[in-house]
Amino acid sequence: MGTPGFGGKLLVVNLTTKEIIRLDSQEYEKYGGGHGTATALFWEFCVKPGDWDLQDAFDPHNMVSLTVGAMAGTGTPASARTSVSGMSPQCYPIQWFCHSNFGGMFSTMLKMAGWDGVAVIGRAESPVYINIVDDKVTIEDAKSLWGLTTWECQEEIWKRTGVRFGQEWWKLDGGYSLQRPQIVTMGAAGENMTRVASLVHGGGSGAGQGGFGGVFGSKNLKAVAVMGTGSIKIADPKGLKDAREWWDKTWPRGGGFGGFGFGSPGEVTSCCVGCGIPRFCHNRTRVHSKDSDDCAESTWYTLEDRQVPTEVNQRGTDICQQHSINAMETCFMGPMTFDTSHNPSFPIQPKIPAYSALGWYMKKMYDMGVIGPGTKFDTSPLPMEEYGSRNFMEIYGYAIANRVGIGNLLAEGTARFCEKLGRTDDFSTLCRLTMWGFMDHWSMPGVEWAYGNLFDSRDINNHDMSLGRKNGITCEQFVNIMAKRTPPTEDPFWFDYSWEGEQAYKTGIYSEHKAQWVAWHQHYWNYYKESVGFCDWGYSQLYNQAHKEGFGHTPEIEPKYLNAVTGRNHTFEDGLEIGRRAWNLKRAIFVLQGRDKKMEKFTGYYYKPGASYCGYAKELTVYDGSKWEWQNCNELYFTVEGVEKFKDHFYKVEGWNVDNGYPTRKTLEDLDLKPVADTLQSKGKLG
Amino acid sequence: MAGDNDNTNTAVEAVGGGDGKKVSRRAFVVGSGAALAGGALATTAHAAAQTTEAPKIQKAVYPRSTKYLVYDSMHCAGCLGCMLACSLVHEGVTSLSLSRIQVHRSVLSKYPLDMQQNVCRQCPDPLCVDNCPTGAAHVSAENGNIRMIDEAKCIGCQTCIKSCPQLPHRTIWNPAKKKSTKCDLCVNTPFYNKKGGPGGAQACVEACPRNALKVVDEMPDQADHRGVAQNDTAGYDRNLQPPAPKMPFGFGPGAKPKGKTGAKPGAKPDAKPDGAPDAKPAPEGKPAASAAPAN
Repeated sequence: MGTPGFGGKLLVVNLTTKEIIRLDSQEYEKYGGGHGTATALFWEFCVKPGDWDLQDAFDPHNMVSLTVGAMAGTGTPASARTSVSGMSPQCYPIQWFCHSNFGGMFSTMLKMAGWDGVAVIGRAESPVYINIVDDKVTIEDAKSLWGLTTWECQEEIWKRTGVRFGQEWWKLDGGYSLQRPQIVTMGAAGENMTRVASLVHGGGSGAGQGGFGGVFGSKNLKAVAVMGTGSIKIADPKGLKDAREWWDKTWPRGGGFGGFGFGSPGEVTSCCVGCGIPRFCHNRTRVHSKDSDDCAESTWYTLEDRQVPTEVNQRGTDICQQHSINAMETCFMGPMTFDTSHNPSFPIQPKIPAYSALGWYMKKMYDMGVIGPGTKFDTSPLPMEEYGSRNFMEIYGYAIANRVGIGNLLAEGTARFCEKLGRTDDFSTLCRLTMWGFMDHWSMPGVEWAYGNLFDSRDINNHDMSLGRKNGITCEQFVNIMAKRTPPTEDPFWFDYSWEGEQAYKTGIYSEHKAQWVAWHQHYWNYYKESVGFCDWGYSQLYNQAHKEGFGHTPEIEPKYLNAVTGRNHTFEDGLEIGRRAWNLKRAIFVLQGRDKKMEKFTGYYYKPGASYCGYAKELTVYDGSKWEWQNCNELYFTVEGVEKFKDHFYKVEGWNVDNGYPTRKTLEDLDLKPVADTLQSKGKLG
Repeated sequence: MAGDNDNTNTAVEAVGGGDGKKVSRRAFVVGSGAALAGGALATTAHAAAQTTEAPKIQKAVYPRSTKYLVYDSMHCAGCLGCMLACSLVHEGVTSLSLSRIQVHRSVLSKYPLDMQQNVCRQCPDPLCVDNCPTGAAHVSAENGNIRMIDEAKCIGCQTCIKSCPQLPHRTIWNPAKKKSTKCDLCVNTPFYNKKGGPGGAQACVEACPRNALKVVDEMPDQADHRGVAQNDTAGYDRNLQPPAPKMPFGFGPGAKPKGKTGAKPGAKPDAKPDGAPDAKPAPEGKPAASAAPAN
């Protein structure tokens, strides 16, 4: 038994050789668990051997990992995420090492079976699924599962157990359980190796971004099923219980970002294991009662010019989940639109959708005559004349998942669809793609989200940075609270959104202050969220309006929970340092894949008026040199010079070479990553 | 039986059971049988054990528990937080298998059949107690007549598990210790900083983020809709929710997101706060399943 809170073992399955490898997960704990551990495994199995070029996510050499952190299965609120890592077929133009995650029960069950992660490399000759029952691991035939939807696949695997769930205890080698195996799988979109395929667990928990369902497909891997009857050792059970109680009493739910106040008494929500927020992510009653994903339901088949009937909208969510289509990438416009009529030169008039995603863009292309009957790109089998109907929606989903007709182009994702149409200029106009082929998603005017996208490999999707105006508090009070909650620097200028003139460089969006904040946040999420497993909807929480001093539960609650579970005596800053280690290891992988300073440039629209038009929180904290004020940042956009200056600051803060963006030997060795420095040096890519 | 909540002791005085246990004839016979190996009484006991109705025919009458754990299946979020809290305070680990409250989800089934909650009912006629050959399973007078298992006396025969009339059984098997255990309303919780038990706190109730668990004084209706006390569709499953306030955004109760008209989360037509005596409606009367469109 290793460190309390951890399962103690990591599983690596090579589907080519059918080799099943057990690793001691304690040796990987310095990377934090979850995504950090997966990053280290990727380095160990995919980079270190040096036998491929790290370019094709569908190459059998690629590793896809499902990893969990110390919190999974401990009952700690909002901490049941399973991280998914590997090279992403969705990333553009290079298929970067990337990540996603999903909630539900999988992480808990994996831990109960004694595992901290499952990593898969190679490619099976025919369809298989990996079956984990406590310590026993088998590669099972999945020919009869191939072609099933994600829901059908799970039902079929449950049937194979022969257990009448809900009626009898299931006797297994290690013990008894009333639970079912927890399964993550993919549907047609994954089997057909689309770049927009998600992994689906349960009814609607899914890892969408990154296209990891397609990576499963490329490996002939239909599913991973896990059943655990064991237990998780907790170093300080009383301390964990007390921490939860302290959290309950000190931070009223609904007063801060995490929780929003959603899910009031009387609501019928369905939660991930242990979640106490609850945010109403899933609903037991909607969408055929299949534990639906409320976010996907709200956004996928929402249309700009017409109201879609409820039942059609709900059915759309089912389509995504059953076929395992990445709802965000393929949706039609997102939950709302924003006015652009005050700027006639803005390319999308008179309103801009929150997400200019694949469905919306496809319709735009049709309306413009770029695609459709008689053009080079026939829209068959889409019944465009039925746009808005249930029939259209179902065919749209089916065509993408099965690569039928124009669905074959759409299955490549928005960026590659643009490319196929010969319209890469649309990245910066109609599509508004943020970095690496992902669509924009609230990244402006809160620039740290945009900067995060720039230096990472996807839309970082960190909602905790929504820093919009708060009622009943002055701007200065707010930034001081934020500073107090972001140790060790505690710098209020991290939260200055000055974007014009000298102030932008002194304390604003191009300043070293902002670079430190962006770095802090990258280290935070690399450890606390993506590695430990804390959910984005609950962490970080820097401000809580219901708290007597306005404090959110960050930075106190994270180490409190972690130390109670693991028995360590880590400070909050210790966690940031683990995050920095994982982040730098990831940077080294990026560098070996081809990343350098020249590549890290925003898509064109970030440098033009309109970059912030669909911002979620537009009134931000701005310092004018003498005082703080809430200011409407609707017109905030970057300058090329400013971003280049910011990059210099950021690289310095991270300890990377300011000329090329490569990590330096000193930085890597300080993080106990000397072998990584040696590898970079051998490739001529050490900073 | 429903509503009849007096705790009149009508059983014979305990014979060596202690701690308030009223020993049944069968328990007495089995206990004696061990001492009278090969004797006539043992033979009688063996014959009785061969008949499926033997435990019920020969059961004693026990004082009723003063506390009962009830739940709200319609509003449970299925987070299993109660299970993890239960195993944490009792065993010092988190475990789904060792939890004395069991919640299991069938996420692809229709609401409200997508989840099932199984709690120990603190039965008025506790067959686990009645059939325990060692007195490990007992009625604890000093703990409000809760039905408990004394781990020190448990010999791991699993008779209590086999005797539990509920499906699935509510007595839990700990394979590592080779002992049976069951919900004690947190009386024996070495990893809990609070006093548990009938006058104290319960970790599962505390952990529930949905107010879907509660300990009540009055014995719940023991009959279910089929008249067979095997599923908790009677008095244990009840609406525990206060009225829902209207929420401000396009999510949550009371709000109608754009394009949505049919969502009726949590709609329980006769929803009443706890205290109302009505039981969970029979399956044919369940409201929300019909609100969802056909698949």
